[in-house]
Amino acid sequence: MKISFPYMGTVVIYKKLLELLGHEVIVPPRPSQKTIDLGVKHSPEFACFPFKVIMGSYIEACEMGADTIVTSGGHGPCRAGFYGEIHKRVLKNLGYDTEVIIIDSFNRNRKKVMENIMKLKGNNSWLKLSKAVKFTYDMIQEIDKFDKKIREIKPYEVKPGSVDRAWEKIQKEFDNAYSKRELKKAVKRSNEIINSLEISRIDERDRIRIGIVGEIYVVMESSINMEIEKVLGELGCEVERGHYLSEWVDFNLVPSFLKKSHEEEIIKKGEKYIEIIIGGHAKQTVGGIVDFKDRGFDGIIHLMPFACLPELVTQSIIPKISKEHDIPILSLSIDEQTGKANNLTRIEAFIDLIRNKKLNKYSA
Amino acid sequence: MKIGVPKALLNFYYGPFWETFFEELGMEVVLSEDTNKEIIDAGVRESVPEICVPIKIFIGHVLNLLEKDVDYVFIPRMVSINEGEIFCPKFMGLPDMIRHGLEGLEDKVLTCHIKSESDDISDYSNYLSIGNTLGISKEKIKKAAKVAGEHWKKFRNYNKNGYTALESYNLVYGKGKLKGRNNRKKGIKIGLLGYVYNVYDSFVNMDILNKLKELNVEFITFDMIDEDELRNNIDDMDKVLFWTFSNKLLGAGYKFFRDMEVDGVIHITAFGCGPDSFLGKLLEIESDETQIPFMTLRIDEHTGENHLQTRIEAFVDMLKRKKLKAI
Ligand code: SF4
Ligand code: SF4
Repeated sequence: MKISFPYMGTVVIYKKLLELLGHEVIVPPRPSQKTIDLGVKHSPEFACFPFKVIMGSYIEACEMGADTIVTSGGHGPCRAGFYGEIHKRVLKNLGYDTEVIIIDSFNRNRKKVMENIMKLKGNNSWLKLSKAVKFTYDMIQEIDKFDKKIREIKPYEVKPGSVDRAWEKIQKEFDNAYSKRELKKAVKRSNEIINSLEISRIDERDRIRIGIVGEIYVVMESSINMEIEKVLGELGCEVERGHYLSEWVDFNLVPSFLKKSHEEEIIKKGEKYIEIIIGGHAKQTVGGIVDFKDRGFDGIIHLMPFACLPELVTQSIIPKISKEHDIPILSLSIDEQTGKANNLTRIEAFIDLIRNKKLNKYSA
Repeated sequence: MKIGVPKALLNFYYGPFWETFFEELGMEVVLSEDTNKEIIDAGVRESVPEICVPIKIFIGHVLNLLEKDVDYVFIPRMVSINEGEIFCPKFMGLPDMIRHGLEGLEDKVLTCHIKSESDDISDYSNYLSIGNTLGISKEKIKKAAKVAGEHWKKFRNYNKNGYTALESYNLVYGKGKLKGRNNRKKGIKIGLLGYVYNVYDSFVNMDILNKLKELNVEFITFDMIDEDELRNNIDDMDKVLFWTFSNKLLGAGYKFFRDMEVDGVIHITAFGCGPDSFLGKLLEIESDETQIPFMTLRIDEHTGENHLQTRIEAFVDMLKRKKLKAI
């Protein structure tokens, strides 16, 4: 089996899990303009943007010889829950003989989920499977810690670009780790990499911290969100996202009696504005805004795919949250047609506004 | 007390229930006007630009009701009417969106969660929160829901007997008259797919129903088909859609295509509709397989300037020619 998967965020992780199970893994290329063009061409015109990018990415994977694609059926029920079904039909239409394995939420269809897990498990023992899962789980937790750290120090790098290069190196370290011991070593090495960076500290008052909330795919996948974290870093801002893979896993896959996920708390914080789970991550988005504010962040950027259903509900409510919590929020929607330049200008203006607001606060 | 009920979205399906319910509670029911240009313009002005047209129109209706000095605007939170399925996110977040997104509505939204196992939403427990807000006893709520439920069933029965929802609405209020027996015309017949708020809002869809009548075309809509039958038509799918009304349309669509009982299928969809992007794709595939012509009409907020009518005429012409050739 030559397995591939949808490209999102730190892909080292999915690769690792599948490799540990002895599969041959095809990592699709990081989404590029070509990926997007391919996806747009072969998707329904009004499908959501993540659908189109993933479509393109699947086609690229098939071209590279993938015969199987694994994906999740999507949780917070929205269109994403049906992505796989349509992707499957399009691939078939294009003549690719690729199997699409969709791992649905356990509650929806237990039998089917087990069937699919068995396919991935192959001849491995259950022990091996659970070890592999545990290992990857630990790894995500570690990688995410570094991911956060990197965004915290990026604005203060002395040598331009040094932090980005460090992040590349760190990901490689993890990519090379296949055992518990190696994972430990990767963590140690990564710490060393971080510590060797030259960082200039600034006054606490001058720190600007931005939270990024919104739809999970555009928040996590830097190749389609204009590398917003890097852009903000270069503008002198520390950045934290509302979505990390580790948190997604805690919330969606780890039973709640084992671990109370951070995401649950966040969802509570959004209750006032959106009462129930309406699909996608709308509730996490509103809760995330309140949470970032509570933790002293200076501004929020809300990212959504163009015409995203649940995030449009969020977007309608944002002016009020912004006012009630006194926090500036910039909402940007992204798709194949949105001009990058225009968005970048808006981001710059937004950061200027925050900086001025902060200056006024301290000078008054 | 004046309760405003927006004549938009699912009011074309559940209106007879909701209106009766509030009347039974002794409220004065105030309906918004039929969709018109002012309503659309106001809705567009107060909505986020990317949102779908039906929601913009709904917002216009809410504003229209505000002008009529109502005490509350009734905006139910439609959660589920079929196990394992839900509503489009915009329905589930509708009260939030109105309450927090529009000025002056914070305390005016009257809402309740609607959860049910079937299309029949008359279980009184859905409406207890309304009783709390308005200070009405459980007993009264129970009774009103029951009466409203019966009224609604009558409405649906007309509807399922081949009357449009608009005709059924009139019939159930004793207006309008029954049609003679429906002798199948030799003309053509179209499967007309679309959510009730797209098919029955004659202002936004350029009065497509009358246009079809003028052209002597018979049509059938999803709401004229029994719920179970709609469901049976999608039973063989690995995975159905998440949204109940989209599944109803899909069931109707599959039936139209597979039973070969129509000459063509028209899908009326609204600009910015998310679920329809997938639904449309599934219908397209089905049309390719069965060779029954399929056309998508997309309605947007700039009605009047678009060419819906001409496109319908052309489509119908084509179907007529096709039929002639076949004979
Ligand atoms: S949350 Fe947005 S992007 Fe995701 S499936 Fe729903 S509409 Fe599409
Ligand atoms: S189903 Fe489509 S048209 Fe209806 S509210 Fe949802 S997005 Fe809008």
